[in-house]
Amino acid sequence: MTRTDRHDSDVAFIRALAELLRENDLTEIEVEREFAEDDSLTVRVSRATQTIVQAAMPAAMSAAAPAAPVPAAAPPEGATESAGDPAAHPGAVTSPMVGTVYLQPEPGAEPFVKVGQQVEQGDTLLIIEAMKTMNQIPAPHGGTVKRIVVEDGTPVEYGTPLMIIE
Amino acid sequence: MFDKILIANRGEIALRVIRACREMGISTVAVHSTADSDAMHVRMADESVCIGPPPSAQSYLSFPAILSACEVTGAQAIHPGYGFLSENASFVQAVEDHGLTFIGPSADHIRVMGDKITAKDTARKLGIPVVPGSDGGVSEAAEALRIARDIGYPVIVKATAGGGGRGMKVAHNDAELEIALGTARAEAKASFGNAEVYIEKYLTTPRHVELQVFGDGRGNAVHLGERDCSLQRRHQKVLEEAPGPVITPEERAEIGRISAEAVARINYIGAGTIEYLYENGEFFFIEMNTRLQVEHPVTEAIFGVDLVREQIRVAAGLPMSFSQDDLQINGHAIEVRINAEKLPNFSPCPGTVTQFHAPGGLGVRMDSAIYAGYRIPPFYDSLIAKLIVHGRNRQEALARLDRALGELVVDGIDTTIPLFHALLNEEAVQTGDYNIHWLEEWLRSHSPG
Repeated sequence: MTRTDRHDSDVAFIRALAELLRENDLTEIEVEREFAEDDSLTVRVSRATQTIVQAAMPAAMSAAAPAAPVPAAAPPEGATESAGDPAAHPGAVTSPMVGTVYLQPEPGAEPFVKVGQQVEQGDTLLIIEAMKTMNQIPAPHGGTVKRIVVEDGTPVEYGTPLMIIE
Repeated sequence: MFDKILIANRGEIALRVIRACREMGISTVAVHSTADSDAMHVRMADESVCIGPPPSAQSYLSFPAILSACEVTGAQAIHPGYGFLSENASFVQAVEDHGLTFIGPSADHIRVMGDKITAKDTARKLGIPVVPGSDGGVSEAAEALRIARDIGYPVIVKATAGGGGRGMKVAHNDAELEIALGTARAEAKASFGNAEVYIEKYLTTPRHVELQVFGDGRGNAVHLGERDCSLQRRHQKVLEEAPGPVITPEERAEIGRISAEAVARINYIGAGTIEYLYENGEFFFIEMNTRLQVEHPVTEAIFGVDLVREQIRVAAGLPMSFSQDDLQINGHAIEVRINAEKLPNFSPCPGTVTQFHAPGGLGVRMDSAIYAGYRIPPFYDSLIAKLIVHGRNRQEALARLDRALGELVVDGIDTTIPLFHALLNEEAVQTGDYNIHWLEEWLRSHSPG
C-alpha cells in the first residue's frame, strides 16, 4: 500500500466514522487500528450536541509517516506579533460558540498545543465547555501556533479570537 | 430576587427589559449576534455576550448559545422579550433543566395555548366565549341548516383540513347555505382531499380587542383592561389604543372577570393576552399569547404599572404588587409602530440612520433602540420604534400623537411615519369607528394607481 493510498483510505475511514456518528446520533466514537507493529491509527470522532461535527485525529500518528519538523525553540508568546487586534489577523482561529476555554484535556495534563508547535488541519487546539459538554475545537487550517490568545478557564463568546496559526 | 438577568432578545424590547432591571437593581446581560455588535441593547447592558452569526437560528434562537451565555456570566434568569424564544415550550424546559428561571409562563401553558385547537378547547372549558359553530364536521344539509339557524346568520363554512381561504364560503340565509355547503365540500375535497367541513358564526366587521391578564402562578390573577388593535395590515398591528374606543365599563368588567378567572384557574404565571374578536357587544376567543406583547406600553400608561417589573417579581416568587381594585384606568393611550419600511408597499428598508430626534414632553414615551449613525441590519424585524402617547382622554391623546409625530425625526431611511400623519386626518381614526378590515381598505383606496 502506497502512502497516498493509505492516506486516502484513512480519510475514507474517518468519513465513514463521522457518518456512523451522525446516523446513530452519537456524540463520540474512538477507534484504534493496528496495522503492524509501530503502525497504528487512532481516530476519535466527536461532535457537539447541536450541529458542529468535528473530526479530530490526535495522538498516535503513524510511525511510518515522517514526524512534522518541530522548531528547536518556540518563540515567546507574542514576540513575533505586533500588539494588533488578534481577531483581524488572517491566521486567527475564532471561537465557534459561547463557553469556557480549557487548553488541556483535563486539569494538570499537558496542553493540546503550545506556541511554536506545528499543527495540521483538524488537530484539537483546545476544548470549549458549553452546556456541560466538552467541545473539541479543531484547527481550521494547518500551520505553526504563533500565539495563544486565550487563557485556560476563561469564558469566550462567539467570534472571540483563540489562537493565531500561520 | 435575582442578581443578574440575561435578556434573550434585541432591539427596543431588550432595552425595555434592561430599563426595568436597572430600576430594580438587577444586573443585565445582553446577548447579540455579530450583526448587532453596535446595537443599543449591547451598549446599555452591564455585560454582553456575542452568541453567534447574523441568522437568528444560529444566534437569538440558539438554545445552547443562550444557555452557555448564562453559564459564563452567572445569570440566574432569562427574559425572552417577545418573538424569538418567548413562546417556545422546549426552550422553557431547557432553561428549567439547567436550573435557571424563565421569566414567563410554564412550558405546559405555552404548549396548550400554542396549538390552535387545544387552545380553543381549553378556552371553552375555562368559560371563555368562543365563536359558536358546529363543533365538528357537518355533512347533511338538514343538520347544517339547524346549526345555522341556532347560531344565527351569517355563517361561514370552512374545510376541516383547510387553510388559506380555500374551502371557505359565507352564507347569509338558508338558500345560500345549501349552495355554500356543496361548493365548500367540493373545494375542500379538491384542495385537501378531505370533504369534511364545519360551520361557524361569521363576523362581518369585528374589532380586534385583547385583554391583558396577569397571574402570580398560585391561582391569583387580575386583568388590566383591553387594547383595541383593529388597525392592522396583513395581520400585523399598526396602531393600538387603550381603553378600546367602543368598549363600555360594563363590557370591560365582564370580559375582564372571565379572562382573569380563566387564567387564575390554570395557575398561570406572568403576563398574558387573550385576543378576542368583538362585534355587537360580544367577544369571541381568537388565541392567547403567553408573553409580553409589543403593545403593552398602552396598558402601562393607563394603569401606571410596569409590567416587566411585575413579570420579574412573580418569576422570583414574589406576589403581584397590585390587586384588581388597585387597577383603575387613568385616561387614554395610543401606540404607533414605526417600521423601517418604504411606503406605499411597506417594503423593508434597512440602512443607516443619519439623524434621529425623539419627541418628548408631557405624556410622550418613545421605546426605541435606534440612534444617529445606527445601521439597521437586514436580518431582523423592521420595527425600529414605538411612540406611545398618554392623555386624559382620547381626544387629548390624539392631539398629543399628532404633536409628537411632528417632533420625531428619523433620517437616512424610509419609515412608516408618514402613514400615521395621514391616518390622523381620517375621520374613522378620529372617532374610533374602525374594524379589522378598515386599514386594508383604506390602503387600497389610497394606493397610487
